[in-house]
Amino acid sequence: MTRVAHITSHEHSGRVRHVQVSGEIDLANVDEVRQAITTELADDPARVILDLRGTTYLDSAAIAMLFRLAQRLGHRRQDLALVVPRDAPIRAVLELTSIQTVIPLHDTLDAASGEPSRRGGP
Amino acid sequence: MTVTSGPAGWWRALTGERARWSVAVAVTYFLGAHLGLSLSLVGENVTPLWPPTGIAVAAFVVVGRWLWPAVAVAALAVNLPLSAGALAAVATAAGNTLAPLVAVLVLEAIGFRRQLDRQRDALGIVLAALASTLISALIGSLALAWSDAISYAELPATWAVWWTGDAMGVLIVTPFLLSLPLLRDLPSWPLRQSAEMVAILVTVVVATAWAARTLQVLFLALPVVGWAAWRYQLRAAAPAALIASAITTWSAARGLGTFRGRPLIDQMLALQAFNASIALASFVLAAVVSERNSATRALEAAAADLEARVAVRTAELSALNDQLETEIRERFEAQEQLSHEEARAQREHDIAETLQRSLLPARLPDVPGVAVAARYVPATSDVQIGGDWYDVLQLPDGQVGLAIGDVAGHGVSAAATMAQVRMALRVYALQDASPATVLRSVHRLVSQLPMPEMVTLLYAVLDPRTRRLRVASAGHPPVLAFSATGASYLKVGLAPPVGVTAEAIYEESVHRLEPGATLLLYTDGLVERRGASITEGLDRLCTAAAAMAGEDLERLCDHLLTTMIEPHHLADDVALIAVRPLPVVAGPWRLTVPAEARMLSLARGSLRQWLRDAGVTKDDENDILVACGEACANVVQHAYAAAPGDLELEARLDEDLLEMWVRDRGQWRAPSDRGGGWGLQLMQALTDAVDVDRTGDGTVVHLRRRVTIGPGKSG
Repeated sequence: MTRVAHITSHEHSGRVRHVQVSGEIDLANVDEVRQAITTELADDPARVILDLRGTTYLDSAAIAMLFRLAQRLGHRRQDLALVVPRDAPIRAVLELTSIQTVIPLHDTLDAASGEPSRRGGP
Repeated sequence: MTVTSGPAGWWRALTGERARWSVAVAVTYFLGAHLGLSLSLVGENVTPLWPPTGIAVAAFVVVGRWLWPAVAVAALAVNLPLSAGALAAVATAAGNTLAPLVAVLVLEAIGFRRQLDRQRDALGIVLAALASTLISALIGSLALAWSDAISYAELPATWAVWWTGDAMGVLIVTPFLLSLPLLRDLPSWPLRQSAEMVAILVTVVVATAWAARTLQVLFLALPVVGWAAWRYQLRAAAPAALIASAITTWSAARGLGTFRGRPLIDQMLALQAFNASIALASFVLAAVVSERNSATRALEAAAADLEARVAVRTAELSALNDQLETEIRERFEAQEQLSHEEARAQREHDIAETLQRSLLPARLPDVPGVAVAARYVPATSDVQIGGDWYDVLQLPDGQVGLAIGDVAGHGVSAAATMAQVRMALRVYALQDASPATVLRSVHRLVSQLPMPEMVTLLYAVLDPRTRRLRVASAGHPPVLAFSATGASYLKVGLAPPVGVTAEAIYEESVHRLEPGATLLLYTDGLVERRGASITEGLDRLCTAAAAMAGEDLERLCDHLLTTMIEPHHLADDVALIAVRPLPVVAGPWRLTVPAEARMLSLARGSLRQWLRDAGVTKDDENDILVACGEACANVVQHAYAAAPGDLELEARLDEDLLEMWVRDRGQWRAPSDRGGGWGLQLMQALTDAVDVDRTGDGTVVHLRRRVTIGPGKSG
C-alpha cells in the first residue's frame, strides 16, 4: 500500500470479489496497486468488481494497468467491471481512452453487480 | 411841492389848503419877526436871532417853495413900519424872501432829509444857513445904509449882526420846526420817557437862565442839550436848543447877567458863539446819534435777519440731516436684511455642500478585481447643490456593490434625503446580496419617511471573478456595458422611482460581462441636453463609450464628460461611475522537484492548491491535473535515464487562459510502450494546445487551456 492509494476487498456474493480502490494512482504507485489487486484475487473469483468511487486521480499508467488487468482476467475467463460515478473527475479521463469498450463501466455498485457480461476473452 | 399855475390853481390856492398854509406861514413869519425884533441889538430891526428866516426855510422844506409869496408879503408887512422908506422895506423883504429860497435850493441840491438823521443833513443845514443869509444880510444892511438909518461906517457891524441873526434863526428855529412833525410821526411815548423829556427841557431852562444871569459860565446848557440829543435826538435837542438860545439871546438883548455892560461886539461874539455851539451841538449830535442808532438798528436788523436766515437754514439742514439719517438707517436696515438673507442662503449652501460632499466617497475604495473611476459635476445653471450621488461598496463575499442615485430637487432638503437613502442602501446591501431585495428594502424605508423628493436609484452587484452582474433599477437610466466588440444598454425591468408606488415591484436581471468589458452607471444629466431627446443622448453616449472601450477609466470619464456635456451650461448635476472587472491574473506558479515518480503526487497537490486559489472550477482542475501529470510522468520516465535530474513546472493564469510549462534538462529516450501512447493523447485531449519543444538542453512541454473562473458550472 502506498501513501496515496488504498485497496480493500471482500467477497460480494458467491464467486464475485468486490475490490475498492481509494486515493490516487499514478506512475509512482501503479505497480503496487496492481500487485495489491492481484493479491486480493488470489481465491480466483469468477467476477471482479473494481470499485473506483474513492479514486480521485488516475494517470495514463493507471489506465494502462487496468487494460492489462482486464486482459489477464479475460485469459482466465474471469469477469472485470468498473464502478465510476458519472460525475467523478476520473470518468472523463477514462472515457477519453475508450476503456468502456473493453471493460464495462458502471455508475453504481448495484449496476456492476448485476448480470455479468461475457464479452472479451478468447 | 410843485408850483401850480393857471386860474384853477390860483383859485384852489386862494380857497383850499394852499391858502390856509399861506396864511398860517405868513402869520407865523410875522409873529416870529416881532419875537426877533424884541431881541434886537442894533436899532429896532437888527436882531441876533431872527426866527422868520428859519420859519420860512422850514415851511419851504415841509410844505413847498410855492409859499414864497406868503413869506414875501409877511416880510414886507414886517419891514414896512421899520424901514425909512417903502423902497427900503421892499428891498429888505425881497432879501428876506430870497434867503430861505436859496437855502432850500441848496438843501434840495444836497439831498436833504427833514428827519435830520444823517450827518450830511446836519452839515447841509449849516451850509444853507450860513450861505443863504449872506444875501439877506447884505441886502438888508445896504437898505439900512441907503435909507440913512445907519451910517456906512456901521455897515460891516450891522451886516455881521444881521447875518449872524439870520443864520442863527435858521440854525435854531428850522431844526425845531422840523422836529415837530417827528413828534407826530412817532408812537406815543411811555410815561418814563415823557418825564425825562420834560426833565431835560426844564433843566435847559434852569441851567440857561441861571448861567446867563448869575454865572460867567454860559455854556452850562451845552451838556444838557447834548443829553437831549443823545437820548432823544432831534425831538428833544431842537426844543432844548431853541429854549437855551432864546433865553440867552433875550438876556443879551436886555443886557442882563453876563452880558451886562459889555460892548456890543463882545455881546454879539459871545451870544453867537453860544448860539452856534448850541445849534451845532443839538442837531449835529442828534444826527450823529440818529445815524448811529439807525446803523445799530440796521445792524440789529441785519443780525436778526442773519439769525433768522441761520435759523431757517439750520432748520433746513436739520430736516435734511434727519432725512439723510432716515435714509441711511433704512439703507442700513435693508443692507442688514440683505446680508442676513445672504448669510442664510450661504449657510444653507454650505450645509448642503458639506452633506453632498459627504455623500460622495472621498476616495473610491480599492476593490480587488475591479478598476473604478467616478466623476461628479455640479450643475452650473443653479448655485444650489444637486441631488446626485454614487457609491461603491466592497461586499463581504468579494463582490462589488455599485449604487447611483438622483434626488429630484436641490439644497439642504435634497442633500438630507440623499444622505438617508445612501446610508439605508449601504446597510441593506451588507445584509443581502440581491439588488432587487436591496431596492425593495430602500423602497419600504422611503415610503415611511416624509420625503417630498423623488428618488431614482440603480443598484448593481458585480462579481469581478466571474464578471457576473446583477442589476435592479428604480426609474434610473440603464447601465451601459461596452467592450471592443460593441456597446449596449443592459435590459433591466422597468420600475418607478423608489417610494412612488405602494408595492415594491423591483426585479433584478443577471448579465455576464465579456472579458475586458466596462460598465457605466450615470445620472440623467449626462444624457439630457436641451433641444435633444433622451434617446439621442443615449445613442451619443453609446457611441462615445464604444470608441473608448480599451481606455484607462480616468481618461474614459474625462472623455465622456467632454463629449457629452457643456461644462459651462450644465442644467443638471452629472454623476458617473465607470467599472471594469480586471483580468483574473494568477501566478506565476513555479515548482522544481527531482524528476522522480514519487514527486508527482506532491507536484499535483501544489498545482491543485494554486488552481483552487485562482478560482478555477473543479471540472477544469482535474483535466489540468491529468494533462500536467502526463507531461510530468513523461519527464520522469524518459528525460534522464538512470541519472538524476529536475522536473521544472510553471503555470500562469491570464483572464481565462491557463498556460503551463513542464521542463526537463535531459535527453529523451525513445518512449516506451508502457503508457500505451496515452500520455500525449490525454494531454491533447485535455488541453486546447500542446507544444513540445525539444532541444539539446532539454524539453519543454507547453500546455494551454481556456478555463472557467468562479464557483459556477456555466461558461
